[in-house]
Amino acid sequence: MSSHNESILREPLVTGKNITYAKVTNDILVPVENKPNAAWWIGFTVAALGALLWVFSVSYTFWTGIGAWGLNKTVGWAWDITDFVWWVGIGHAGTLISAVLLLFRQNWRNSINRSAEAMTIFAVICAATYVVAHMGRPWLAYWIFPLPNQFGSLWVNFNSPLVWDAFAISTYFTVSLVFWYTGLLPDIATVRDRATGLRRRVYSILSFGWTGNVKTWQRFEIVSLILAGISTPLVLSVHTIVSMDFATSVIPGWHTTIFPPYFVAGAIFSGFAMVQTLLLITRKVLNFENYITMFHIESMNKIIMVTGSIVGVAYLTELFIAWYSGSEYEMYAFANRVAGPYWWAYWSMMTCNVISPQLFWFKKIRTSIPISWVLSIVVNIGMWFERFVIIVTSLHRDYIPSSWAMFYPTWTDVGIFVGSIGLFFTLFLLFLRVLPGIAIAEVKLLLHSASHQQKLKLVKEGHLKPEQVEFYKESLDKYDSVSEEEIKELAK
Amino acid sequence: MDSNKKYWKGLEELEQTPAFVKDSKGEFAEPLPIENVLTEAGLSTKTPRRDFLKALGFGVGAVSLAACQSTPVHKSIPYLIKPEEITPGVPNYYASSYNGQSILVKTREGRPILIEPNPKSIGVNRGTDAATQASVLDLYDMSKLKGPKIKGKEADWETVDAQVKAALSAANSAGKQIRIVSSSVNSPSTLSVIAGFVAKYPTAKLVEVDAVSYAGIIKANEASFGKAAIPHYRFDKADVIVSVGADFLGTWLAGEEHTQQYADNRGYKSLENKRMSRHIQFESGLSMTGANADARVAVKPSEEAAVLISLYNAVTGASLSGGLTGNEKAQKVVGLVSKELLNAKGRSVVVAGSNDVALQTLTNAINAALNNYGSTIDLDNVSYQYKGNDSDFTTFLNEAAAGQVDVAFFLNVNPAYDYFDREKVKGALTKIKLKVSFADREDETAELADVLAPNHNFLESWGDSSIREGYYTVVQPTINPVFNTRQAEQSLLVWSDSEVAYHDFVKENWEKTILAGTNRTWTDVLQTGFEYKGDKPAQAYAFAGDINAAAAAAVNGAKALAKDVEVQLYQSVALRDGKQGNNAYLHELPDPVSKVTWDNYVAIAPKFAESLGLGENSVVKVTAENGYEVELPVLLQPGQAQGTISIAVGYGRTKAGKAGNEVGQNAYPFAKLVNGTLQFNTTAKVEKVSKTYELAQTQTHHTIEGRNVIRETTFKDYVKDPAHGSGNHGQKHRTYDLWDKFEAPGHKWVMAIDLNACTGCGACVVACNVENNVPVVGRDEVRRRREMHWLRIDRYYSFEHDGEQVTEEKEIDRLSREDANMDNVSVVFQPMLCQHCDHAPCETVCPVLATVHSSEGLNHMAYNRCFGTRYCANNCPYKVRRFNWFNYWNDSRFDNYLNNEFTQLVLNPDVTSRSRGVMEKCSMCVQRIQGGKLKAKLEKRKLRDGDVNTACAAACSANAIIFGDINDPNSEVSKALRNERVYYVLEEINVQPNIGYMTKVRNTFEA
Repeated sequence: MSSHNESILREPLVTGKNITYAKVTNDILVPVENKPNAAWWIGFTVAALGALLWVFSVSYTFWTGIGAWGLNKTVGWAWDITDFVWWVGIGHAGTLISAVLLLFRQNWRNSINRSAEAMTIFAVICAATYVVAHMGRPWLAYWIFPLPNQFGSLWVNFNSPLVWDAFAISTYFTVSLVFWYTGLLPDIATVRDRATGLRRRVYSILSFGWTGNVKTWQRFEIVSLILAGISTPLVLSVHTIVSMDFATSVIPGWHTTIFPPYFVAGAIFSGFAMVQTLLLITRKVLNFENYITMFHIESMNKIIMVTGSIVGVAYLTELFIAWYSGSEYEMYAFANRVAGPYWWAYWSMMTCNVISPQLFWFKKIRTSIPISWVLSIVVNIGMWFERFVIIVTSLHRDYIPSSWAMFYPTWTDVGIFVGSIGLFFTLFLLFLRVLPGIAIAEVKLLLHSASHQQKLKLVKEGHLKPEQVEFYKESLDKYDSVSEEEIKELAK
Repeated sequence: MDSNKKYWKGLEELEQTPAFVKDSKGEFAEPLPIENVLTEAGLSTKTPRRDFLKALGFGVGAVSLAACQSTPVHKSIPYLIKPEEITPGVPNYYASSYNGQSILVKTREGRPILIEPNPKSIGVNRGTDAATQASVLDLYDMSKLKGPKIKGKEADWETVDAQVKAALSAANSAGKQIRIVSSSVNSPSTLSVIAGFVAKYPTAKLVEVDAVSYAGIIKANEASFGKAAIPHYRFDKADVIVSVGADFLGTWLAGEEHTQQYADNRGYKSLENKRMSRHIQFESGLSMTGANADARVAVKPSEEAAVLISLYNAVTGASLSGGLTGNEKAQKVVGLVSKELLNAKGRSVVVAGSNDVALQTLTNAINAALNNYGSTIDLDNVSYQYKGNDSDFTTFLNEAAAGQVDVAFFLNVNPAYDYFDREKVKGALTKIKLKVSFADREDETAELADVLAPNHNFLESWGDSSIREGYYTVVQPTINPVFNTRQAEQSLLVWSDSEVAYHDFVKENWEKTILAGTNRTWTDVLQTGFEYKGDKPAQAYAFAGDINAAAAAAVNGAKALAKDVEVQLYQSVALRDGKQGNNAYLHELPDPVSKVTWDNYVAIAPKFAESLGLGENSVVKVTAENGYEVELPVLLQPGQAQGTISIAVGYGRTKAGKAGNEVGQNAYPFAKLVNGTLQFNTTAKVEKVSKTYELAQTQTHHTIEGRNVIRETTFKDYVKDPAHGSGNHGQKHRTYDLWDKFEAPGHKWVMAIDLNACTGCGACVVACNVENNVPVVGRDEVRRRREMHWLRIDRYYSFEHDGEQVTEEKEIDRLSREDANMDNVSVVFQPMLCQHCDHAPCETVCPVLATVHSSEGLNHMAYNRCFGTRYCANNCPYKVRRFNWFNYWNDSRFDNYLNNEFTQLVLNPDVTSRSRGVMEKCSMCVQRIQGGKLKAKLEKRKLRDGDVNTACAAACSANAIIFGDINDPNSEVSKALRNERVYYVLEEINVQPNIGYMTKVRNTFEA
């Protein structure tokens, strides 16, 4: 997106001294062009061990059968679908940031969209593994798609939300991947241009012959816009459809019309929290502080607070409607959530998802990096519990009391979940090493060089009101983006 | 016609060129370039060597890869000559009998796979019990002996015969005793064989002993009426039934026959005629019978005598001392009941479960005073089911211990396991020179025997039985003996130097005795399965016993019981006395009341448990008076009398086999011998052990939470309004539906389930297991709530408090905290299976259409199409879908019974055995429906009502499950579903289930 005249009141999106286009490229490509540091290796080792645990747990499940999990005749889904929905939810932030914020011209997204989209793709990969792994006969997983077959005219059941799910997830994954990769093309070309030898050849192929001429850029802009247009409904549709796995059923606690908006809000909530978790570390370790600034952190915290509040309202609405419905099964399902044997899961969910984001009303908290990081993790713990509460506590006590049962996870359940987090981080850490973690080309659009000079000129020439000048000075100070001399100069 | 035409292959041949002529002499027209290849040049060229190596490498690689996969070879051998009777795919039915009940054995390709009741029989013609259903599995038990053994070594029958005969003649000539120890022998032919044996060896004698004895009834009847026999009870003729500790619907005497009689007075047909019996139960542990009672009073074992004395006093106006004191509820109920009984003279029956002669004498006196003999109690057509005499066995043990017995045979008994004084049995057995066991496996007693002469399974045997006077059934083999076994009777014939084959012996015996004077032949009997001579007219009997002495003895017995913790030993409905201890189907059949599988336990009332510091999963050490002690898990059992515990016998087998060994603990040693009869009420010390143990229960939530899943009413209200409590508005309300109505133009298969008839016995569950190859999963998997039963029986407790039924857990917790009396528990059973909903929620959610609706209203499962997302099971409001978590039939971790090719022969070939990862559920026995339709088609007629029946309905003696076509307005099920009591479970969520339930009606006392 092209740059434009910027209000004096807008805080700079890229901070730091002497920022030039070259410096941006150099800064962002540090991790890609150099050997990894110790921090990366430690992180990667831990994550890879987790991924190995995942491989082992999933293989064990495939070998022995789903009985390796703690499921039973009453609770047919538990950690598997909890984890699935959790990962799909996390996968929502990427597209929201890259597509919706693009359409709304939220330029600050340019610094975080790359990592967020990568995260989306890895999260959807993690989610997709559960789709296959939770099946009793995973080797037949391809039956979910309406493929031509030799079983006669055997077709899938288009009434089944699981079929919708398969379409929704695969579409979402494909579009996200294409969007992400399209955005990567100019940056891969940058890496290519700076690389030599084999690296150059590999990146050359990956860059699809990007030339960087005006026509290419123009087409790139148009494709980005189109993909953003295609992705935007997906942000809403994917989790809407995931929620229909539950909403279209007859089980009290599942059969709820509020689910689609509630799930989408929750997904954005958890997605932003995961972006926050990742980027707060990444910006520190990879020295991206000038690109992912306090402005970003604060903005994302605001989104977390808003979506967290939406989710909270949804929880309360559910309780109210359960009571208002007068349906004894519905009422029992919710009473059981609040005070049944899994009360601790419900209250963990309430604390983590509803109460903790409210802390972001305080500017001090919302701009504190350690607290933001802790709260981002708390939010994702809460979102995991939300799915657990919806799935397990609705199933374990449904209509016929004789079948009521408890669910206890086995080591395999835990191993697959912890392992999937390992898998996710393994993929993310590898991503940071081979591809630019920040969209170089898009960040360059945000450089304040031009607008900053313009603003300084306005200040010097005295065309502005004193409070506007004061605001600008404060923001420069806050974001540490100017030299002392400049401040002195402005103070004159 | 000859033709001189010649065809030539080329111009060369036509022209016969010299080159052609030369070449045509050799085998090949052109010389093969063998020399070229084999010359050094040919071998040393690079290409052939490399190609060879490539081919070799590929070949070896491919072969080794192929060899990695050991493809199992399944041999299937076709019939060389087709047996006349057997058409592959078409079952044959043979009439036979099991434990005296006439049955039909279904065989497929020569192997018995299912047992059904003989519908033409008398007595029980409607169903079979769980044990009978499960018995087919015993035939295919891998733990059985494969042939005879002598002193632990395999032997052949000649050696066995020689050795046994030598021992017999030695004993005979030395004048030493010979004993045949057997459980009750009610087979006329067996008795005849034994008589012949005794004639040959005059010192021989038959000693009959039953693990759970009914000698007390026999002795009491001898004392009261001069008839040493067990009468034939007629619960169908009784309007008022009072049972003091007798589980007459389950394990007491002929439970199955009683169930049929009982249900006739309480099922929907009887209710439509506004007729229902009233049943009052006084007992310690909550038995299945007690669970069905209209009023149930928890009494301690020591109070049983007082209940009977009070009842006697109230009925006769006598004033025997020793009546009830302290138990207000029991006193009140006795008062009410006695009035009812007096109003129903000759239409009532009082039974007592105790084996105490005094208590049975009191019971006889009450029944005689109520004129019940000749109407509800028939002493003229007596039962031969249990003839065991405890004192005879004691005599045998003493004789043996004194060294007087040289040879002893053990037929269908296992005293080393089930006699209370096992040390005495073991000691006595060491003194016997030759001990011969006929057991089919090396069980606890056979282990001590010198010669093992394994008997046939009943499905391999010829035989007969007569469980009551004038009624005879045959046993005919349905399969050739699988192992090198020999029928016990045949062995006895051989050893008494008789050449005759046992089949001929039975046939001759029938022709000479049973069939004499009738115009029926042996072949007729084999076809019908039984011979019934008709009942003699039942006489009234006057009580001629000494009531005062009996009352005094009863009071003394009660005093002896009233100390420590009173223990009631009982037989579990599934496992009974433990003889079928290796039957996995029975171990996994939940107890009707406690829903516990794979264990016995100490049942204890929650309040009493609390006072002992016990809770769920506690373990206690129970120490008997004789010092025997066991550690058993605790089951908190509402309705158990305070201060008592109940323990099931039949568990704790050590030599039963793979499935049954070390399941639970043996409780027989708690029994004791008092006045010559075995007593199963006793006392013990109970102390907590610091261990925990989780029982495998199939149901862990025990109340209905006020939901209308169960609907019930009282008989009083029912008489006024038959739809009372059912919510059945007779289609008066308009209903609206978003969905199109489901059309079933041909047949539409439905069920009606009568909650008032269902006793909860579980025969249907086992029948379903056998018919549909439902896997047994074992204790650990049941603990994980993964039992596979397609049909389960839900059991709910409710508690009466201030005249209200309390069914909510929260309320119950509150009341028990407030120390309210929670002993007034009432129970309801609800068979729950796939409801085959017209708007089935499972069908819409399956992504691959693996579960779909048939045009006959059935909800089908296509196992091959299922890939196991379990969404259908989650979305099933009834939670009746079962998922194959593992490959149960081929996984060493679930080696309960089925992981061998032999036992797999029990599987029904009409039903696929399901692979891991596949959902399954009740199919309404679709294989039977298809079979029935095919048969009707072959016979060129329409399918008639009753042509097809599901396995569960066929097994139900109570007629609680009725299956049929609702599109046929005259079918049994259509008529049943027009009943006002019919309701549909969860009908409000509009899944449109196809199984109608009929309200539970309780004939409670009018306040």
